[in-house]
Amino acid sequence: MRELLEALRDTAKKRGAEFMDVRAMENQGTSIQLQDGRADKVSQSRSRGLGVRVLMNRAWGFASTDGYDRQRAFDCLELAMAMAKASQARLGELGALAEAPAAQDSVPPRFEKDPHSVPLADKMKLLSQYEQAAVAAGQGKLVNTVVSYSDGRERASLCNTRGTYLETESIRTMVGASMTALDGDVRQQAGERRGEQCGYELIDRLTPDEVSAKAAKRAVALLKAKRAPAGKFTVVFHPSITGLLTHEALGHNSEADLVLSGQSILEGKLGQKIASECITIIDDGTIPGSWGSYAYDSEGTASQRRVIIENGVLKGFLHSLETAAKMGVAPNGSARAQGFGNRPVVRMSNTFIVPGTMTFEELLKDIDIGVYLKGGQWGYVLCERGQYTCSAGEGYMIRNGQLAEHLRDVCISGLTLETLANADAVSRDFEMQMPGMCGKSGQGMHINAGGPHVRVRDIVVGGQE
Amino acid sequence: MDDLLNLAQKACETAVGAGAEFVDVSAGRGRSISVELEKGAIKSCDARWSTGVSVRAFVRGAQGWASSSGLDEDEALTAARTAVELAKVAQPDPDFVSLPTPAPYPTVEGLYDPRVAELHVKDLIGWAGDNVDAAKDVDPGVVVSGGAHAGWGESALVNNLGVRAASRGTHAALSIFAIVKRGDDVGSYFEFDNGRVLDDFEPDGIGAAATREAIRFLGARKIETGVLPVVFGPLASHSIFGFLCWSANAESVQRKRSYLIGRRGERIASELVTLVDDALIPRGLGSSVHDGEGFAHQPLTVVKDGVLVSWLHNSYTANKAKEPNTGHSTRGGIAPTNVNPKLGRVTAAEIIRDTKEGLYVPLGGVSPNPVSGDFSETVDFGFKIENGEIAYPVKNTMIAGHVIEFLCNLDAISSDARVEPGAIMPTVRVQNLRVAGGK
Repeated sequence: MRELLEALRDTAKKRGAEFMDVRAMENQGTSIQLQDGRADKVSQSRSRGLGVRVLMNRAWGFASTDGYDRQRAFDCLELAMAMAKASQARLGELGALAEAPAAQDSVPPRFEKDPHSVPLADKMKLLSQYEQAAVAAGQGKLVNTVVSYSDGRERASLCNTRGTYLETESIRTMVGASMTALDGDVRQQAGERRGEQCGYELIDRLTPDEVSAKAAKRAVALLKAKRAPAGKFTVVFHPSITGLLTHEALGHNSEADLVLSGQSILEGKLGQKIASECITIIDDGTIPGSWGSYAYDSEGTASQRRVIIENGVLKGFLHSLETAAKMGVAPNGSARAQGFGNRPVVRMSNTFIVPGTMTFEELLKDIDIGVYLKGGQWGYVLCERGQYTCSAGEGYMIRNGQLAEHLRDVCISGLTLETLANADAVSRDFEMQMPGMCGKSGQGMHINAGGPHVRVRDIVVGGQE
Repeated sequence: MDDLLNLAQKACETAVGAGAEFVDVSAGRGRSISVELEKGAIKSCDARWSTGVSVRAFVRGAQGWASSSGLDEDEALTAARTAVELAKVAQPDPDFVSLPTPAPYPTVEGLYDPRVAELHVKDLIGWAGDNVDAAKDVDPGVVVSGGAHAGWGESALVNNLGVRAASRGTHAALSIFAIVKRGDDVGSYFEFDNGRVLDDFEPDGIGAAATREAIRFLGARKIETGVLPVVFGPLASHSIFGFLCWSANAESVQRKRSYLIGRRGERIASELVTLVDDALIPRGLGSSVHDGEGFAHQPLTVVKDGVLVSWLHNSYTANKAKEPNTGHSTRGGIAPTNVNPKLGRVTAAEIIRDTKEGLYVPLGGVSPNPVSGDFSETVDFGFKIENGEIAYPVKNTMIAGHVIEFLCNLDAISSDARVEPGAIMPTVRVQNLRVAGGK
């Protein structure tokens, strides 16, 4: 592989490329789904290919192809150069790259028990145990049970004209459950998932109580939950919603490619106070085992801990080599590509709010009427307007400083800068259990998010009552 | 495409030889080019080749699935053997009966256009550039992103019961996202065009339209919480009706995780609502002659005069229910193709004029919890209607309800509509919607 990638690189240099990188990626995955008592769907996937990126006359071109066929690889390089030439037709700001040291490294996967060494039959037995635990916890009210397991291995090689050659390998393992409960004509669903960048030891560490039985209990509890109210409330976010909020409301806006392209509300605000003093937000790609971690980004820059907001002040953005050059700062290893068929773009890794000093009870204490939201599900943001949406799987009314009625799933909507300014208390607990995929520029990327409990004034709750 | 058919056939035979009772194999290749815009200039031009094979094998109803990129014969045959091994390990499913058997396919015109397949990246740059210029003519300070895309693909599908199908298609698209700023006040909007054939692709005017709409979103205001009628524009109604048909997925119903369970034959929407899913519409974006399992497509009425009349089936759910297959397999799931509503008798302008106070939502819609039917949505693109006129844009506003109550409260569908290949998109109005405001 190395010989092929270096031959491509050398050819690109001879052909006048100012910069070129080529990524070879191979992915293998296994997934099993057990539904209503039967693990009747088992699948395995395998893909591999090359992506070539070139900068010529300050214009970018990219091309990709399946497989490692030598002729196709060189055709791919030719195509990438043709694409770069075409880009010159209507070039805006010239392409640029920050200085960064060449990296030479080989990073093995982090695992104790290789998932491939575990027979499929054992994995199916595990799912059966998870399902039985859910059924036992479901009080006879479950009408659909889905338990799933997946593992994936990614091998990547990166070679560029600056002398970087990296070989990295990673393994991710995940188990999840989705339970549907019925009582009369009320039907509710709840899900749980646990995923880490590790091997099968994740499964050995977990118990069904943390995943399938937990989902079952929540689905059953939701049968008696009320519909959420509509209007503006003081809201306390569980760490899972804090994670969504941090990722959607602030995180995307801190991606420097969006800042440079005029799509972020944070443009021109570096160094300014944009949040309450209790808010410090970090994006850290170095947390061992976390779903969003990585050793090197897809451009070969080592992963880092990045401070975005410190005590309310906007301290920095997430950067690729190009955005760092254009903003005159050091790159911080945030450019990642989903696969060989994608260009690296600026992405978050593990994004969280740093814990404070209060207890959860202290956060609730002063609230006469409010809403406590938990069970973070999904979210999105219109960066340019700073308007975000987060989905909570459940909630509770807060009345006179205490948790009151249980509430069904509901979304909240807010304006990023208002929300950051209206966050007035942060608890001292911490959880980051949101392993998932973030979508941007047509690419999905592994991320994680979390934080402490956070209290925010004047959040719009989109309920029905 | 003979090479794809032959490869799929060999993989199919290999799987049968390895012990598969049923098997289908898909093999395909495609190429795409794209242009990405950033601040009104070219950010990058990209090209992608993609190929792949996937094999689905069944043993006593248990399913093993193996896929691999590339069209190498050894790897395809390895995938076939792997799929069978996985199916043998998986637990039997007594509800599985059979994959589809061969039947004549209908003809659908306009799925492949050699002129689209032969587009050059310079064509895409031209379209994108012209639209940036037009956007700047409307507002010199507009921030334009988006891009253009064109591609072709061809695929073969073979199963061990004699299905042997080959198809190819083309697609071209242009999208422009316009942002206009006045200090901290920001307006934005999205406009697009796409088509399977070049004659349906009309890129002119996209950038100017997106920019004009973006300007309309300047000066957004927060509103009070209350109960209001909401008028959904063409793109929003397309989303609402599409999601409803997606919810009529027989697998979700059979698995008891759908809000539509027990409602077939019942009123689930206003009697104004009739929805037909038709994959045979010439040039339709969702059109094809057969579904993912090779079952011939045919039009299906899903909702008639407000009554849910059909589930969307694949071979598994149809056999399990002992009902006819409707040809909606995605070979892994179930989905509608081109969903179209019956149009009403009043114009979109009349619907708005007839709304004393309410909201107008041009883009968005509702996507309910598929299990409970509850929804809670942000109005990302919305206007306040006052005295029958669109008054001002809103922000920090949400709508919520239960989807069946929502559909039953639908009291108007327009006679005029936005038309895209395979899709007719009217304006609709829903009464008594809970609106949460940030004021």
